[in-house]
Amino acid sequence: MNVPITIIKATGLSLIIFWTIAITEDFSLDMIPLVLLSVIPISICCSLTICLTIAPFFWSKKGKRNLETVYNSYFPFYAIALFGLCVFSTIESNFNTYGIAFNTSAFFTALKTWSWLAEPKKIK
Amino acid sequence: MKKIFLFIGAILFSILFHKQGVGLNLSIFSFITLILLVIFNKSAFKQKSTLAYSVLYLITAITVFIYNNSLSIIANFVAFFTLVGQVSEQNSSIYINWINGLYTIVAGYFHRNFNINETKQKVISNKDIDYLHLIKIIGIPLALIIVFICLYKNGNPMFNELVNKIDFSFINFQWLLVAICGYYLLNNICKPVIIEPTTTLDINTGNYLSKKGEINIGDLKKEHQFGFILISALNLLIILFLITDITYLLTSNDLRASTFSNQVHSSIYTLIASIVIAIIIILYFFRGNLNFYSKNRSLKTLAYLWITLNSILIVNILIKDFQYIYYFGFTYKRIGVLIYLLLTVIGLITTFIKVKNVMNFWYLFRINSLTTFTILVTCATVNWDGCITIYNLNYAKSMDFKYLIRLSNNNVFTLINYLDDHNLDNYKNSVIRRKYKRYLKELNAKSWQEIQFDNFKIK
Repeated sequence: MNVPITIIKATGLSLIIFWTIAITEDFSLDMIPLVLLSVIPISICCSLTICLTIAPFFWSKKGKRNLETVYNSYFPFYAIALFGLCVFSTIESNFNTYGIAFNTSAFFTALKTWSWLAEPKKIK
Repeated sequence: MKKIFLFIGAILFSILFHKQGVGLNLSIFSFITLILLVIFNKSAFKQKSTLAYSVLYLITAITVFIYNNSLSIIANFVAFFTLVGQVSEQNSSIYINWINGLYTIVAGYFHRNFNINETKQKVISNKDIDYLHLIKIIGIPLALIIVFICLYKNGNPMFNELVNKIDFSFINFQWLLVAICGYYLLNNICKPVIIEPTTTLDINTGNYLSKKGEINIGDLKKEHQFGFILISALNLLIILFLITDITYLLTSNDLRASTFSNQVHSSIYTLIASIVIAIIIILYFFRGNLNFYSKNRSLKTLAYLWITLNSILIVNILIKDFQYIYYFGFTYKRIGVLIYLLLTVIGLITTFIKVKNVMNFWYLFRINSLTTFTILVTCATVNWDGCITIYNLNYAKSMDFKYLIRLSNNNVFTLINYLDDHNLDNYKNSVIRRKYKRYLKELNAKSWQEIQFDNFKIK
């Protein structure tokens, strides 16, 4: 479980998902600096989400053998609750493209982050 | 083979739902998902219970097409994740099916890909694709090319013109994204997953109570005494309440809608509190070894009496609600009261069975969840707006005409038929015709994905 590396991966994934959806509405090459600048808020969001809502589940159970147990015990309920929140937030944003982009990227990044954090070191 | 099915399903998903409202598309999607579930989970569909849930799911799909109202859509969603949960594990309770179904729909792909082999303690990736390498060879060059295009664009007007001529508008990216969502959803449900250890725990939990440790007669005697006094006092109190309430019902001649409304609603609040507390208290006393105490007959009798008295309370409210409906017609709230009373009666009957047959809390939870689900699906098959309109126009002593106009469009044809058969005043005539015209316009504007049963009525 490597939190800093996971935050970097999550930022990258989130950035890709967010802008893939956002540019379907409108895209011009002038938006490139905006895309690059968006790395800062996205990384802050990812760091806060991971450190406050995902990593504590793993920190509370130390030891490699517990990774799977933590994942199986908490991930399903986290996924369901997050899905509910994202759907609610999307409806509240009145299905605005940026709202959909934000919620979709938050949802998929958070779920993938669980896999990254729970993944024990691969034996080669 | 699986991927071809999913690919076709994803394309259909986007065709059905991209920038469309709800109508025929949700019904077709329900059939598609059912076909996919059957193809990939043949063994699950050999069970009668799975077939029953499939039938219920199809019923809700048809009701969406016929009525296209919120209730039928909600019932369709609930039936969907109940069926998916049922396919994932056939022996679990319905509430576990709900959780498993929802989890499968939301994160089935992630669950399946996190498949740990305990003996080797490593994650087995289902695919041998090096995503990092793919990102390196596609993502980084693409990002750099875009950056350099931006730079060169500003340095050369001819290059700028050339870049500006590039037009991707022929590709509908949003359509593609909806198709990806469809692929993700169908991929999730094709092999439903279960939440562990919740599912195993549920399967291993029976419906009957068993003795916990050694029976301590002294403690049980004290608990029995406490329960006897408490339930006796509550029985006396409810008898007193019923006497005063029935007396009021028989002697009151006040037929104002507000009086009826206040009475029914305050009775409902009383009933909610009374039934919930009754069930909690009964569950508390009959949670453990008191069920096996040889001298518990008097306490059981008192519990049965309390359940009976609560049932009388329900009958009392039922009379009030029927009176209310008789004089002032149906409304959604009044129908809601009837459904709530039905659920309450079932709750009390199951509590009676729980005490009589020494069953546990999970029995109550299982049977009542199943009942709620069945009632939800049954309610979705009824055109409530039509029923309300027919009753209020033909049988109610008085009614609120504006309320009928405010109802959904499911009563439009009932209203227009009534208008054709009766002479109504100008105001009612114009309001009904306006609603009818607006609805016709709405129906005619629908795309083929959004059409509903009423579209065929106007042709």
